[in-house]
Amino acid sequence: MRLSSWLVAIVAVLAIFVDIPKHQFSFPFNCPGVCVKIGDFQVNQEIKTHLGLDLQGGTQLVLQLQFDKLPPGSNATQSELQTQAIRVIENRINSLGVSEPVIQGLGTDKILLELPGVDDLQQANDVATKQAFLEVKVPDPADPTKYKSLEPPLTGADLNPNGVYVTFQSGTKPVVHFEFKGAASDRWVQISKDYLNKPVQITLDGKDVSAPVIQTVFTSGVGIIEGNFTTKSANELAIQLKSGSLPVPLAVIQSSRVEPTLGRDSVNRSIVAGAIGLLLVAFFMVAYYRLPGAIAVLALLYYTALTYAVFRLVPVTLTLAGIAGFILSIGMAVDANVLTFERLKEELRSGKSLRAAVEEGRRRAFPSILYSNLATIMTAGVLFWFGTGTVKGFALTLAIGVGVSFFTAVVVTQMLLHAAIEVSSLRRRRLYGVEEKAPETRAAGAPVAAV
Amino acid sequence: MVRFVERKWWYFAFSGLLIVPGLIFLLLGGLKPGIEFKGGTLLDVRFDTPPTVAEVTEVMAGLGRREAVIQVAEGGRIEIRTLEMKVEEQVAAEAALRAKFGANMKDVNPQVVSPSFSGELIDNAVRSIALASVLIVLLIAFAFRNFGWAAFRYGIAAIISLLHDAAVVLGFFAILGYFFNVEIDSLFVTAVLTIIGFSVHDTIVVFDRIRENLRLNPGEALNPVINFSIMQTLARSVITSLTVVLTLLALYLFGGFSMRNFALALLVGIVSGTYSSIFNASQIISLWQEVEDRLRHRATPSPA
Repeated sequence: MRLSSWLVAIVAVLAIFVDIPKHQFSFPFNCPGVCVKIGDFQVNQEIKTHLGLDLQGGTQLVLQLQFDKLPPGSNATQSELQTQAIRVIENRINSLGVSEPVIQGLGTDKILLELPGVDDLQQANDVATKQAFLEVKVPDPADPTKYKSLEPPLTGADLNPNGVYVTFQSGTKPVVHFEFKGAASDRWVQISKDYLNKPVQITLDGKDVSAPVIQTVFTSGVGIIEGNFTTKSANELAIQLKSGSLPVPLAVIQSSRVEPTLGRDSVNRSIVAGAIGLLLVAFFMVAYYRLPGAIAVLALLYYTALTYAVFRLVPVTLTLAGIAGFILSIGMAVDANVLTFERLKEELRSGKSLRAAVEEGRRRAFPSILYSNLATIMTAGVLFWFGTGTVKGFALTLAIGVGVSFFTAVVVTQMLLHAAIEVSSLRRRRLYGVEEKAPETRAAGAPVAAV
Repeated sequence: MVRFVERKWWYFAFSGLLIVPGLIFLLLGGLKPGIEFKGGTLLDVRFDTPPTVAEVTEVMAGLGRREAVIQVAEGGRIEIRTLEMKVEEQVAAEAALRAKFGANMKDVNPQVVSPSFSGELIDNAVRSIALASVLIVLLIAFAFRNFGWAAFRYGIAAIISLLHDAAVVLGFFAILGYFFNVEIDSLFVTAVLTIIGFSVHDTIVVFDRIRENLRLNPGEALNPVINFSIMQTLARSVITSLTVVLTLLALYLFGGFSMRNFALALLVGIVSGTYSSIFNASQIISLWQEVEDRLRHRATPSPA
């Protein structure tokens, strides 16, 4: 066997290995996927099919950072604020226990948030947009009915995350316990001395939460936020305070939620559509091209297995549009074979031997195959570059599909064709859709003389 | 021998027949932007047995959503379109629908785009169309780099036929939008760009063959060479489209509901692309040559 045949065989085995659902075995031994460790180079890649939100259900938000609502005088750059906001949201989501969330910046003024399995829109919205900016304010000497910020302000940034939790007052009323850290702790004690028997206001996002009158001098930096909390809202506030406040107000500019049952339904429909598409194409190819058609079908199965393996390995998150790209690429993958087989038929009709015709068919179809693939990959590249969400998914799977189909058409189909013509019983011209005896012997490409 | 070139005016006329009605509806504002491009809310509500539009309208009116547009969709679904809803309003709408329809309602799948964001999505779409057009022209230039001076006319012909395909799809959706309120979204733009890529390579395959045959038959007139080249590539063009059409048909009939219009746009565009590469692109080359011959004839009158 030639080197390329070995390559094709090895790739096939690997692809099928990757395609098999992971729970059936693990590789190398006790790791769920591919684990490589060479010195500092480590890969721990779990092999599985990643489904997008529209297929597994969940909530997606696009958030706009509202820089125009920042108090004047803040000098952090947009991308710094974005990074901070992402970190805060990440912390909050981790406390909620969402598996495989996606939090990423879009440009420098937006954040994409994907929460698989989260069905509570309100909760997702609160996690992403509640600023949770806590500040302690004291009575304004100029106007005792008002409160003013301390200098410098005493805020939630000075809280000790481990000291923030929900407790219950008189056994049933949920309140949020907090604790200042370091110097802020001393300031908190000092405030209780300075403002003994006076109210001190605790504000959250600029709103008054509680304004207790200080009745004793504190001995530590500990305090309690009272409010009309339910256990759930107290928990959410505790999480938000622990994770820190968002450095800039956020607004939801796009949201979508897909129920898991709808996602499951879409997956099923896509599988059916893909299988039927594949069957239709396979049936047609065999009916029209006979033996080469059957070879193309083999190549197509190879193509499907390999592309799916690439999706699982990269990994590519499959969305509905992504699956559409995949199904479309099945149809397009056949094109390279069609170009080759049409040439093959022509060369056979012109009187060439089978072997010469196969070789000539490959050589002369190649530029067309290259252009057609280039055209599609270019379009996919543009779509990937500018597209958002759905469009990106489509572009990525289409590009991968076309790339893989180039390999299968140029290498796998050719290998199988060459293998087939070595078998004497497969050498009959009729199997290639051509009359047994060549009816005319004029050279290909000299047709006009016959007009 | 099929007379592809000689009948070119028939084929051009047929294209006109396909494009002109679409263009009329395009001008009438038939192309309806979806919520992605104009902002707003789409509630995709699934039922066991869908209620009447009137019942849903009543619920929405109870929420003060008098602008709600309610449509029955396939798969036991009802689509409710309103202006942008805040998260609280979405939660309230779901609760109201649940209260009215109970267990008969399977679930609500809301999608909201703020009008401020839709402008950006439109910009993205326009930018991707512009960049794709530039790249396509470069690809055409690259594909025809060995054509010498003739490259220009082949390039123009390829561009005209891709505009043809874009016009057919846009017109088709303008008609659907006008009569059935079918909306276009970023997936539609994606479909148009995919069609353009497909159409161009289809055309390139035919042109490549014309060039090859011209080289093999020096001195032969252009029209017979074009006829023969189209014949030679006909099977390939038709079969490739057919396999793509088969997969798209499967996607249209059996795939996810939200992919239907996408699959439909691709179907129409691919069929149009195949038609234009067989019946329009090469005919433009032929027409160009005829016009050029006539002009040259006039410029240098025969000595007789």
